Amino acid sequence: MKKITIAFVLSLLVSVASFAQVDRSQFPKAGPAPIIKIGEAETFTLDNGLKVFVVENDKLPRVSFTLVLERDPLFEGDKAGLTGFVGQMMKAGTTSRSKDQIDEEIDFIGANLGVSSTSISASSLKKHQEKILDLMADVLYNPIFPEDELEKLKKQSLTALATSKDEPNAISGRLSSAMVYGKDHPYGEVETETSISKVTVEDVKDYYTTFFKPNIAYLAIVGDMSKSEAEEVVKKYFSEWERGDVPKFTYDAPTPPSKKMVGLVDRSSSVQTVIDIAQPIDLTLGDEDYISSRVLNQIFGGGSSSRLFMNLREDKGYTYGAYSSFSADKLIGEFSANASVRTEVTDSAVVEFIYEINRLVDEGVTEEELEKAKSNLAGSFGRSLESPSTIATFALNIERYGLPKDYYETYLQKMNALTVADINKTAKKLIDPDKLYITAVGNGAEIKDKLAQFGEVTLYDNMGFPAREMEAVDPDMTSEKVIESYIAAIGGRDKATSIKSAKLEMQAEVMGTQLTIELIHDDANMRFAQKTLVGGNVMQTSVVKDGKGSASVQGQSMAMTDEQVDAAKLSTYFLPELHYQTMGYTLTLDGIKDVEGTPAYKIIVATPLGSSVNNYYSVESGLKIKNENPASGDTFYSDYQEKNGVLIPMSQTIKSAMIPVPLEAKVTGLELNPELDEEDFN
Amino acid sequence: MKIYSNYTMMRKLTALGLVAGILSVPAIAQTKIEFKEFDLDNGLHVIMHQDNTTPIVVTSVLYHVGSKNEQPDRTGFAHFFEHLMFEGSENIERGEYMNIIQAHGGTLNAYTSNDITYYYESLPSNELELALYMESERMLHSKVDQTGVDTQREVVKEEKRQSYDNRPYGSILIETLKRAYTDHPYRWAPIGSLDDLNAASIEEFQQFYKDFYVPNNATLTIAGDIDYKQTEEWVKKYFSEIPKGTKEIYRPNVKEPKKTAEIRDIVYDNIQIPAVIQAYNLPPKNDADSYALSMLSTYLTGGNSSLMTKELVDKQQKALAVAAIPLDLEDGGIFIMYGITNMGVEPNDLETEIDRLIKQVQDNGISESDFEKLQNIMENNIVSGNSSMAGVAENLAEAHVMFGEADYVNKVMEAYSKVTKADIQRVAKEYLTLDGRVVLYYLPKPTEAAQ
Repeated sequence: MKKITIAFVLSLLVSVASFAQVDRSQFPKAGPAPIIKIGEAETFTLDNGLKVFVVENDKLPRVSFTLVLERDPLFEGDKAGLTGFVGQMMKAGTTSRSKDQIDEEIDFIGANLGVSSTSISASSLKKHQEKILDLMADVLYNPIFPEDELEKLKKQSLTALATSKDEPNAISGRLSSAMVYGKDHPYGEVETETSISKVTVEDVKDYYTTFFKPNIAYLAIVGDMSKSEAEEVVKKYFSEWERGDVPKFTYDAPTPPSKKMVGLVDRSSSVQTVIDIAQPIDLTLGDEDYISSRVLNQIFGGGSSSRLFMNLREDKGYTYGAYSSFSADKLIGEFSANASVRTEVTDSAVVEFIYEINRLVDEGVTEEELEKAKSNLAGSFGRSLESPSTIATFALNIERYGLPKDYYETYLQKMNALTVADINKTAKKLIDPDKLYITAVGNGAEIKDKLAQFGEVTLYDNMGFPAREMEAVDPDMTSEKVIESYIAAIGGRDKATSIKSAKLEMQAEVMGTQLTIELIHDDANMRFAQKTLVGGNVMQTSVVKDGKGSASVQGQSMAMTDEQVDAAKLSTYFLPELHYQTMGYTLTLDGIKDVEGTPAYKIIVATPLGSSVNNYYSVESGLKIKNENPASGDTFYSDYQEKNGVLIPMSQTIKSAMIPVPLEAKVTGLELNPELDEEDFN
Repeated sequence: MKIYSNYTMMRKLTALGLVAGILSVPAIAQTKIEFKEFDLDNGLHVIMHQDNTTPIVVTSVLYHVGSKNEQPDRTGFAHFFEHLMFEGSENIERGEYMNIIQAHGGTLNAYTSNDITYYYESLPSNELELALYMESERMLHSKVDQTGVDTQREVVKEEKRQSYDNRPYGSILIETLKRAYTDHPYRWAPIGSLDDLNAASIEEFQQFYKDFYVPNNATLTIAGDIDYKQTEEWVKKYFSEIPKGTKEIYRPNVKEPKKTAEIRDIVYDNIQIPAVIQAYNLPPKNDADSYALSMLSTYLTGGNSSLMTKELVDKQQKALAVAAIPLDLEDGGIFIMYGITNMGVEPNDLETEIDRLIKQVQDNGISESDFEKLQNIMENNIVSGNSSMAGVAENLAEAHVMFGEADYVNKVMEAYSKVTKADIQRVAKEYLTLDGRVVLYYLPKPTEAAQ
């Protein structure tokens, strides 16, 4: 008793003392590293070959079912885009439920059901599991693939494609995939308007009947469900699923180039260049180098304290962020280092990337970097275990990649055992600094020559196909001659100058809504009025007259600044080419460019105040086929028809950052030399 | 350093938080959250929740100070401190707070609302002592000096530009609060005014720190793979020496007068598509009607088959998106509804339809099957709310501060199950009053639009 009392008093003293003497200048030491217990998944296999993993976790009364198909990557060829439709089509109606019924029944129990071409995932509260399994099975066994749904999906796909053609990051993705994998590889092919439109309901059905087979499927069940219950429900819902032969596919492995190669997509409206430096790498989950490649990436470009970020953002200020990745894949992996940088520093940024890549391979990493990266990765590994689905993913990976059973159990041990020498060995093994693809999406006129120092520059289009070879400009050609041949092509100067004014009405449809654009050009008096109507309501107007300009949106009016008037004047004339000289504009011929497949002279038209637009005139026909305006976007002209002896484009396609989809406008009304009065310009 | 902190995120967390400890219909037994609590002599309240499934621990401090505790000519202070308190302390080098946590395998974040400021870090469980040390440093002697103020003022300026000025519809909260309150300090948003921050002296910042960032205004919550006894010892070791605040905490005692007329305005913003905003004043957060109002908002716009989404987005296609968000605040928040018009639809056309649907709920209530669907959706959301340690820690802290007891997390479901079909109709009538609301039209700013 006494002993205990003394011990108690002592302990009090000790703790009191420790309150008073906290040494705050020292960080507390970490306790012994916690043992990471990774719950084990129970597994069983049905007679039809379906492999099931059960991760029981009854902390919450929820359960999720994830079905994954393990098939070889598919080269879709002339039907590229097909697999993107399969999931939505399966959810679009079954023999007993319409699409609306499926949606309503899922919502009613507050559940989720998602379908893709290689998976079906469903989750709900425990008490609704029968209902969600019933829906999941219905979608799996009885889809009816309605024709009209496919039409709707194809239309959405085409809209998305049109948008992505002007999206620098999407273009960059297509460009580097095309270079790294090649267009005849599943990872390098792209869906096009043609390939999307070729997809039929039959194709979707064929895909479904070929690949949705239990013998290539895994089902992961996570949540409030024991193995025995799982056996019961899986038997009930999935045992009648019939096995079938599933074709296998192999592909030649892409190899790195023999020396550095530069790929460029010229996007002249860009103010930033998207740089991606890439290389195919032979790396799969479970490889000897896999874990060290995670650490290597963390040090090189995995986060905001990594080398790339510290150099390109913190030190140089070239970019908002620079990152790297080492993707692992059964077929072929990829090393990538990327950033979006200001146009002016494009070449400097590439120099820094290459410097960092060389330094990584030649000099390796430091002990301090290694330790920090390990802690960081161990922390996120630990946090990821909070989600039960991580355990299911681990179990699936062990099966799919043939990993040792204790692969994840000992993951941190393996990582912590890695030395500086191990990481350096992996860097040397995975990266070959002399055989990189350097890809850039940006303003070609500014960056093309500067990129030549890194390797031969090949031009690509916005879909990642080699750009059509453009012939060199004839040395005798001048900007004046381009304009003259344009004027000749539309009917000659005499006829063109006879048009002093014009009233133009154009119609377009945006996402089901009618859009009308009314333009009035009074070239003789330098007046211009424009009105945009949406669904019959005036949305926006602008007027330029007497050297002044004003604009209004939804009734709110605003005067233009002198700079804005100056810029607006570039597009106020009906036939602006007739007035460039008198306006004192500077014309520069900037070579021959590929405009959607047509070679065209690019002319930069600049005002004395510094505003400018780019016009493109077809080399062959002389006609103007495109205009790039920094304020309103890109306009493509087509369907030239003769009016009053002058060729006028009756169709315009407008692409602008302000509108979600390209606008296809048709000229529906045209009056040449109409009577105009003051009213028209108010 | 860049701390992600904005109001949207706060909303998301709070919405989750509110729901989290909360509801369940009796049919389902909500998993009980066990916890232990104690107080230090300096007034610090401590809540601990043990869950040894995963070797991680979340440590959080909730300071009961938000933008409503600011003076009208010194707005934005609470949010500014959210930044300032990453500047370091006497023992933590400037700018190192985040690096230290990350280098030990952790992650961290913070947010500020009109009512509270919340800091948390998630670390491997063997680093709990470090987390407690870091938070105690912050509470004991954060660096509140001119250099830190100057640095963070620039960061906040950038944040305001990015999240409010440049972001389409980013000013909705600011513009709405400004009109929804005349007297209460809820009339300014947490981001506050940059002019106020510029005008404030270093002494004022230091005083604000002394007034509000004191143990008697804080709740420390630790959730995860912990040992209760060891945790309590470490908490005492690092937090006991922090002196209690000497002043009574300033909490505004302002009753916002009931609105009797509609307030209607137009805001021109950098947007392409017009939007309609409506805001209705709500009862205090802990009012019994909050549950029915939260269900009402789900009925109106929660999910693809909700009333307004189905009617206005899918069928009539008058709106690109609609949302009803009950921003429930300690002294009574606002129920914000917004609709973004589809191409060619006039804002007043959309507003008429929104009003018609509100009226429909007020006059006819909701159907039995919709009520059942609503309960199912709510229940599913709620059950998911406590699936992470970060969620549990936040729910416990909020329950203690806003509802007076941490055990509220285990009781809310009961409160929710009391909501009837009739209650939903009743609160729609009582609170969504057409003659005491704020209506804003967001219209595109006219620009040089030469085609």
